[in-house]
Amino acid sequence: MSAPELVGGSAADRERIAHELVTVTIDGRQVQVPKGTGLVEAAAAAGVEIPVFCYEPRVGAGIGACRMCLVEIEGMPKLQTGCTTPVTDGMVVHTAGTSEQAAAGQSATMEFLLLNHPLDCPVCDKGGECALQDLSFRYGSGKTRMTFRKRSLEKPIPISPTIALDRERCIMCFRCTRFSQEVAQDEELSAVNRGALSMIATFEDEPYRGPFSGNVTELCPVGALTSTQYRFKARPWEYEQAASVCGLCPVGCNVAVQSREGRVQRVLSRNHPEVDRGWLCDKGRFSYSHLYSEERILTPRRRGVRELEELGWEQALDELEGMIERAQGEVVLALSGSETLELAYALAKIVRQGAGSDRVVLPEQAADALDPFRVPISALAEAEEIVVFEECPVLDRAPLIELWLKQARRNGAHVTRIGPSGDIQRGRGEAALACQELAEKESALGKRLRAAERAILLWSGGGGAGGCHLAALAHALGLHEKEGSGALLLPASPNARGVAEAWAAAGDENRQPRQIGLLVVSGDEAASEPQVRQLAEHARATVALTLFAGDSGEWADLVLPATGYLERSGTMRNLEGRLQRLRGATGSPARRELSWLAELAGRLGVDLPGSEAALFTELSAKVLDGISLASLGDRAPLPPRVEAQTFEAARAESPPTLLGGPLELIRYRALFSGPEVEHVPELSFQRPAAEVEISPEDADRRGISGGNEVVVRSNGTRVTLRARINAALLPGMVRVAAEHCAELARGVEVSRP
Amino acid sequence: MIGSTLITVGRSLGVTLKQIFRGTVTEQYPEYKRPVYPRFRGRHRLNLHENGLEKCVGCSLCAAACPVDCIRVVAAENSADNRVSAGERYARIYEINLSRCIFCGYCELACPFDAITLGNDYELSEYSRSDLIYTKEMLLADPIKRTPVADAALYDTPTPYYRTDS
Repeated sequence: MSAPELVGGSAADRERIAHELVTVTIDGRQVQVPKGTGLVEAAAAAGVEIPVFCYEPRVGAGIGACRMCLVEIEGMPKLQTGCTTPVTDGMVVHTAGTSEQAAAGQSATMEFLLLNHPLDCPVCDKGGECALQDLSFRYGSGKTRMTFRKRSLEKPIPISPTIALDRERCIMCFRCTRFSQEVAQDEELSAVNRGALSMIATFEDEPYRGPFSGNVTELCPVGALTSTQYRFKARPWEYEQAASVCGLCPVGCNVAVQSREGRVQRVLSRNHPEVDRGWLCDKGRFSYSHLYSEERILTPRRRGVRELEELGWEQALDELEGMIERAQGEVVLALSGSETLELAYALAKIVRQGAGSDRVVLPEQAADALDPFRVPISALAEAEEIVVFEECPVLDRAPLIELWLKQARRNGAHVTRIGPSGDIQRGRGEAALACQELAEKESALGKRLRAAERAILLWSGGGGAGGCHLAALAHALGLHEKEGSGALLLPASPNARGVAEAWAAAGDENRQPRQIGLLVVSGDEAASEPQVRQLAEHARATVALTLFAGDSGEWADLVLPATGYLERSGTMRNLEGRLQRLRGATGSPARRELSWLAELAGRLGVDLPGSEAALFTELSAKVLDGISLASLGDRAPLPPRVEAQTFEAARAESPPTLLGGPLELIRYRALFSGPEVEHVPELSFQRPAAEVEISPEDADRRGISGGNEVVVRSNGTRVTLRARINAALLPGMVRVAAEHCAELARGVEVSRP
Repeated sequence: MIGSTLITVGRSLGVTLKQIFRGTVTEQYPEYKRPVYPRFRGRHRLNLHENGLEKCVGCSLCAAACPVDCIRVVAAENSADNRVSAGERYARIYEINLSRCIFCGYCELACPFDAITLGNDYELSEYSRSDLIYTKEMLLADPIKRTPVADAALYDTPTPYYRTDS
């Protein structure tokens, strides 16, 4: 049996009391637990079950809302709720199993909960995995004494395009509102009215618009909050489940991908306590249906006279082989960082060994210098000091980290954000300078960081030499010597580190062609990158492996269909350096990449196995110290820290001066952007609005107020957007989502039309 | 020698003669169909409410109860302009593979709405296996009353309430 988890209080408090043990007797069984343990956990440690609905330690301490956990405690005149009672030494507890009074209380609670609960289990999406269904089967009476009509309310109410609310089924456990108020801290869900009329609602019927809203569907113990995408798609016992990892951001949340009849039906959390603690962002949870978009390409396409025309695989491979031959070694591979290690390795092998070129475009990634400061993400919750160099918002790069930061703040940590809209405002490109100053100059923050027992540094943004500046700061602070301290870089792509490793493993020569005979672009992310697009303009021929032909279709000569991350098997390395396994949940409607890559390799005389497992074995022998797939398990362990070495980080430089306009444009890739979101109609309400964020000072100077239509222009490009005043933004900066900035340069001017 | 042979032949002819005067037991199927027991479990049918809505809400409990996994249910949501069943949910696809079905009747026991019941028809031969996959339309259609049913009053076990209409 696992040790009971302590809830609430600061890290230091928990450490102190964890050593004091108390003895309690529950249903005649004596058990020793740390002081302060809740009664529900203590009972679990004694092997006694106290049933609960509202109690969920991840959303905060127990509140005793559902009354299901009623127990009799000797010396107390009335029944007590187990979830709000911490155990004390010598406490004698009788649960419903041994106490008649407790059993009567519990069955009355059950009867009240079911009084107005509709009997629509056959229709309800929760039926089969419902806590209320399970517990009423075990503790309920089986007959109702209710002879009146049950309460009937309007249902289902879409509280957002992704979530449906059924108020008849709600048992008012407040799990969802506590999640919204304490965990996600978006304060969007709350209970309105009182007594029998109380119900869950959003403010003024506005949609629940938060990046983590989907978690309430998984938290709800009944079928009151359900996913609209998954509505009536399958019953819980009809699934095939694959224990995979989300491949949309570098956090790598562990997910259970549930599919039926060859289609992914929903994505649930698999709770890796060190990575995601059972939470997912809405992008990871709801974007799976992009796989079934009608715009997804399933067959190879070639540039025809007017548009792309379909062709068979045999022809496509002939074409590709011809392209590689004609390129005569002048091949460039652009990887997006969303590939698995295995796929990146296969591509790298074809380019390096088959085409004879060693030129690659890799996504930004963490440098090896950060390895001595490796720390699990969950350490954020226990940290005392956290400094975030936040050029790009953490939420947009690695959304789950934002939840961990909120948790850290709740546990009493100081979180300092340094960036264009942070607590310490620094301009764009000045993060490295700020890092250097913190290491070298005396400051209050520097003192606090040195004094803290557990301090964590985060780097969210480009530049900084892959975290070398951050590593230098971490080294100066001595974070490698402190347990629970460390430094993490949040890269822009999910498997940036992994694809670089795979590229390195595929060859050791360094032939750099001057011209581009053939550009191979892997992944939609790479295809939408302006830098890759520029390369494509210089290339004599281009091949793209993408899910959609939106970006690549404009310039690629050959577009080959890719598979999605939910269909792929393989491994990915997340931002901590944790190597995690993806398990393909379903087959792919498009041909697997490894299958045709193996065929192509055969034509080019490269030895390339067609299975992920064989590729992993090959990779493992070369770069992963011979570890086996089995050692990664379902919840992968964090590799140990490496020995810290002193090194000289290059001096940070001031960012180059602006050209084109007086205001600096910060082009950011919002969380809800990219092809995975664009092809999911339910998520379109979350996509960034066509807005320009501007500081109050700059807005005043230009006579702009919030909501005005303004023109953003640079070098002859103009975009009309709506102005939004962002008081936290450093004057001289404007922020626009990447999908709305078109071809704007770095320096822009904003004016009224 | 000859005598014993004659005795043997005579004895066997006696058997034949005896059978000649016994009544016939052959039933002229398919011209004559013997009535089946009232609780005989034959081809399934899906039932409708009196107002014409389907009783089935597509809950898949029949498929869960089925020991040979011969039922496939894919549900969808009723809308104002396409109301199929009484609840929020209806069965968009309901298929029974009768070549796999063992006619155990668990599906009708599992059904919370008496939507699926087993009828009395047993004449289900087809030339192709795929023809034995009965779709929702086939199961909803009134059965062609080919199979006569014996009078329930002749038997001491009553017909269960959920099968009274078949």
